[in-house]
Amino acid sequence: MSGQTRDFAPISSPRPRESPLALGVRRILRARSSRAALVVLGIIVLAGALAPLIAPYDPAAQPDIVALKDLPPSLAHPFGTDPYSRDVLSRVIYGARLSLLIGVLATLVSLTLGVAYGAIAGYAGGLVDALMMRVLDAFLSIPRLLLLIGVLVAWPRLSIAALVLFLGFTGWFGLSRIVRGQVLALKHAEFITAARALGASRRRILWRHLLPNLVSPIVVAATLGVAHVVVLEAGLSYLGIGVPQPQASWGNIIQDGADQVAALWWMSLFPGLFIVFTVMTLNILGEALRDAYERRS
Amino acid sequence: MTATTPPLVSIRDLRTWFHTEGGVARAVDGVSFDIGAGETVGIVGESGCGKSVTALSILRLIQPPGRIEPGSRIEFEGRDIVTLGDEEIRDIRGNRISMIFQEPMSALNPVFTVGDQVAEVARVHADMSRKEAWNRAVEMLALTGIPDAETRARQYPHQLSGGMRQRVLIAMALMMKPALVIADEPTTALDVTIQAQILELLVELQKRIGTSILMITHDLGVIAETTSRVIVMYAGEVVEQADVDELFAKPHHPYTEGLMHSMPHIGHDQERLNVIPGTVPAPTDWPAGCRFRERCPYSWDLCEREHPPLYQVGVAHVSRCHLAIEPERRNHPHPPLVVEEGVAAA
Amino acid sequence: MLRYLARRLGQAAVIVAIVATITFALIHLAPGDPFSAVMDNPNVSERVRATLRAQYGLDRPLPEQFVRYVNQLAHGEMGWSFSHDRPVQAVLATALPNTLLLMAIALVGSFGLGILIALIQVARRGSTTDHTLSAISLFFFSMPDFWLAILALLAFTYWVPLFPVGGAVDPVMHEYMGLGARIVDRLWHLALPALTLTVLAAPTVARFQRAALLDVLPADYIRTARLKGLTEREILRRHALRNALLPIISLVGLSFPALLTGAFFIEKIFAWPGMGLAIVNAIGTRDYPLVVGGVILGSIMVTLGSILADLLYVWADPRLRAN
Repeated sequence: MSGQTRDFAPISSPRPRESPLALGVRRILRARSSRAALVVLGIIVLAGALAPLIAPYDPAAQPDIVALKDLPPSLAHPFGTDPYSRDVLSRVIYGARLSLLIGVLATLVSLTLGVAYGAIAGYAGGLVDALMMRVLDAFLSIPRLLLLIGVLVAWPRLSIAALVLFLGFTGWFGLSRIVRGQVLALKHAEFITAARALGASRRRILWRHLLPNLVSPIVVAATLGVAHVVVLEAGLSYLGIGVPQPQASWGNIIQDGADQVAALWWMSLFPGLFIVFTVMTLNILGEALRDAYERRS
Repeated sequence: MTATTPPLVSIRDLRTWFHTEGGVARAVDGVSFDIGAGETVGIVGESGCGKSVTALSILRLIQPPGRIEPGSRIEFEGRDIVTLGDEEIRDIRGNRISMIFQEPMSALNPVFTVGDQVAEVARVHADMSRKEAWNRAVEMLALTGIPDAETRARQYPHQLSGGMRQRVLIAMALMMKPALVIADEPTTALDVTIQAQILELLVELQKRIGTSILMITHDLGVIAETTSRVIVMYAGEVVEQADVDELFAKPHHPYTEGLMHSMPHIGHDQERLNVIPGTVPAPTDWPAGCRFRERCPYSWDLCEREHPPLYQVGVAHVSRCHLAIEPERRNHPHPPLVVEEGVAAA
Repeated sequence: MLRYLARRLGQAAVIVAIVATITFALIHLAPGDPFSAVMDNPNVSERVRATLRAQYGLDRPLPEQFVRYVNQLAHGEMGWSFSHDRPVQAVLATALPNTLLLMAIALVGSFGLGILIALIQVARRGSTTDHTLSAISLFFFSMPDFWLAILALLAFTYWVPLFPVGGAVDPVMHEYMGLGARIVDRLWHLALPALTLTVLAAPTVARFQRAALLDVLPADYIRTARLKGLTEREILRRHALRNALLPIISLVGLSFPALLTGAFFIEKIFAWPGMGLAIVNAIGTRDYPLVVGGVILGSIMVTLGSILADLLYVWADPRLRAN
């Protein structure tokens, strides 16, 4: 039956060769769920980007540590205040900025490492490849959070830059496997045209053929990667080894309220909701992109 | 077709259309024929002519975006299959009408034993216990010529060869002694030597159990060996229907002619295979007039203007070709239009 | 099968060796002395400092320290936890069973729940039910583990006091309870953490299983089942599911890391005395040997878990079992 209906699929004209970017954008715009996700994510990103302009208060300001601390949500403070009398809404908005920035930068680091490692392993082949893959397996066997805890406890009082680097250093494993697979496939295909390949141009062929095939998995990995890092950073900040105080990140805010979690429920609820929506939208977009690229191949 | 006994299955104006984004594909476009009790009827045609879709329609196995269009009728044992409820159609499947496909490799569930899968038919339709159903399954497997059936029944599909798997599927199809077995290219995926065995088996079992067989194939050899009456399909339509001997002796429709002509014969000196030039038109876009016109060596202007009906051209022999009314045109063949107009030949 | 197991265990040993090397590098690449928190802390007793110095050979050349380290690991010694004033392996050994209990229940629960949700979704694919369940699945999937735990704690221990606030047993009364009451007490304390972890892990299973089922449905043998006159529900549950369960088994191995890290947060928030709580507390006290021990133990668990899952897969697929 599956054979039969396939015979009757409409014979459409061959699709014009479009860039992966255009393909992805088109797919996202086509479905209602991904359009909505794009809008919501856009709002959050915009809020973070424009934080200095839209935050009602200075996120670090502690105006009245006696009278204005621990206030539940009100009109003056829609998300309440924290034990240091800081406005939680402002901190959440600045938190968007920081958490997303960390997410994007860390993912960039991961992508670079992942592509490099995978490409080298695939290109080198043989013993080098086998060894690199074993090391990769070892890294994969350590849960990412655990690895980060191990690293971050050894380096107390980390700067945000260092945090970004460490987050990036722990997130490239999956992508490198995919890249390695692509490189291997290409190497074998390349041997078929070995007659035409001259010594130096092999590298160029790899470059010219490799990158286009890599764009799709990279874009998908990037989108989903940012989501992972946002959650991870929140968790680490909650444990006290993420973003250092008094900077505002979503995880930090929750940690500030951790001692009195029932009394200061707004400190857990609102940052958490922002995390959930950011991650949800990133996931929806990532899946939509994966959909788009899989169908094309 | 004797007019005395009512046919087992009576299909009238069957239209199965697929409503896709690219248009409506009219896979089966007004097909009518009968199948008598105990008869073996063959449907022959190339891929895409609609023969498999016809078979699937009989058992209402068409899934969206495909649909049996209203107005189609499939009469079986006094009821119209097209309008039956879900539970009633399930009652027929595997029980009164069963089907065998061409892919024995993948038609069996890899995680259940062969015996379990055959026995399942009896557990669904008869109220048998596990043991009774199993015993009957083993009997059936032995009947289809599987040696050491008791042991084989406990094995998994991947442990059996292709030919044996097809026997299993035949056993499955015959478990409830159905009135009709639809065989869709049952031997295409098998080795030539096994093909002959399977066909023999089908013929023998048919005689023993008395079921009718609807044999769907593109292979004229199979038609010659097993069927008593043949239906030729092209582009979603019946283009010729006759008793098998008559069809081979006096094919009327140019397509049937072409099919016969393209069969290579052992013993004949032939350097090139004869092919029918051109390809089947797209099912979303059947041409008006005769659908075979562009590939036909006899066509003329009438063929473009009028879609030919089924003409009576002999005893129990119909053909959808205007040559029935202007037979002398057969003496003046010309290169088919596809070749003339430079469209790529097949 | 036995040869396969031996091979996998061999690979696992290599992996653990590499992990040990990585953790050793971590210990010594850190700025200053990772034990400076201990060594420079005037409150730490001389006994502890001497033990550490002897164990790690802190004044010996690096290669020698590495050999010592590996040697100790091979004997199951992971150093000294000064925050507990006990060997690390002792601390972890006491805590591990509690974490395993939590993970085991969550594993079974999340797979049961996830498969159930997937079946409902596929039986009604394309309907509102399907889309709603997908959305809910995604919502829970996107939650940070600790956030759901906090919300669960707020909702079911504070606002609606159904469950105890934390711990594994009642801190006061447990000793005085009879056997039956003690079991109930344990279960009552186990319920919310286990449920939370289950709900956190279920969406992944549901999404995977749904995709696996949809992959299987167009198969030829499903068509054969339909031809036999089975109902769609029977086809789904008997023929499709059995095949779609196979890829899920590999998910069992893959979900160990997530279950473990989830357990960390859950244990912290519910004060469940498992490995996670021990390590999270070790972060606060900078008890580095304990943290490192936890990392090694965690990766051993994950590796063994994936071997287990692979064995399960080979057992479950008749096509592989014959070989």
